Amino acid sequence: MFKFLYHFFTPQTSNNYRARILHPKIISLFIIFFFSAGVLMSVTKTNFPEVLGISSDVSIDQLLILTNQKRQENGLGPLSLDERLSQAAIGKGNDMLSKGYWAHISPDGTTPWVFIKGAGYSYTYAGENLARGYTNSSDVINAWMASDSHKQNMLSGNYSNVGFAVVTGSLNGEETVLVVEMLGTTVLAATPAKPEEKSITEVAQASTNESAGQVPVVNAKNKEEESQADSKDSKKQTIAKQPSLEVKPLINAETFSSNIARIAITIFMFVFILDMIIIERKKILRFVGHNLDHVMFLGLILALILVLLKGYII
Amino acid sequence: MIKKLLKHLNYYLLLLIIFSVGVITTVFASPNVNLQVAIIATTVVLYVFWGILHHKINHELTRKITVEYLLIGLLGLSIIFFIFMGGI
Repeated sequence: MFKFLYHFFTPQTSNNYRARILHPKIISLFIIFFFSAGVLMSVTKTNFPEVLGISSDVSIDQLLILTNQKRQENGLGPLSLDERLSQAAIGKGNDMLSKGYWAHISPDGTTPWVFIKGAGYSYTYAGENLARGYTNSSDVINAWMASDSHKQNMLSGNYSNVGFAVVTGSLNGEETVLVVEMLGTTVLAATPAKPEEKSITEVAQASTNESAGQVPVVNAKNKEEESQADSKDSKKQTIAKQPSLEVKPLINAETFSSNIARIAITIFMFVFILDMIIIERKKILRFVGHNLDHVMFLGLILALILVLLKGYII
Repeated sequence: MIKKLLKHLNYYLLLLIIFSVGVITTVFASPNVNLQVAIIATTVVLYVFWGILHHKINHELTRKITVEYLLIGLLGLSIIFFIFMGGI
């Protein structure tokens, strides 16, 4: 057994001083395996989503608890879950999936406020936080808290209500979990704004925030502006049905595939480094590629996997 | 290893630039999967060319080495394909 492992992983006379795993035939087998396994996983995901799929532990209850926990830690009152804001969040999530965009404002110019007003929530203050690719609630909240603009939204004293949506689907070919947080205060609940604040808030527009790379926050539009927007947007607005909030397939495709890929890459990197050390110590002359190049390349592949599976917030 | 790295520092700096650009553009291409695939494929092709060219310039290029770089490049691509098809 040990003899086989040495033969497979270390340069020996038996493998012509090149670990067997690094021979073209074995590398070719790995290539065939990964291409075939990719196709097989894709077919299984499509036909048996209950067996293999994107698993999300992001729950609305947990998001609400964690948001209020953060607010409490910062001396702010809790937000109450508002059904209309949740409907608006679902509408926004489904709109992003159906139109294939990832932004606060859709390519056709639909702002988050369209969804909020469409759900019947008449706001004085409103804001939106978005997250994508996270698989649990605390990661979502931590990511938002780590970003100043999102944190400001979450910890704003202007809001009294919140609505969440966790929408799973394909965004431009990427199977992902979108989390939408809509924050707001109704006209009735809002505390009277100071005169100087009002003058600023009347001018505030989502588009200006968006272009500056900020999280959209809209404050106290005047009634005329609001009523115009209401009549214009009510035709466009469609609120989709609430999707299942917690998707739990038997195997989480993301974790499964990334673990296999990481293990394979780590083994290859280890064998290349071991090969390099042994050959240098034994001072054996070989005409092969530079192991260092391959180690760096496999490091790149590892980095790319991290990038591809990382979550994003806007 | 360090001796080799210092001897070929310019080549490795070029490789690091190729890899860095590949990773950064992949981040910015998100969530456009097609663009990400194109960027990653380009980075892999550049790596294979870089490897072959590096050996060619040092007069140590053989068919075996060319095949090795091609196979390692393909291995990287197959793993990324596996991640895209399975996990994303």
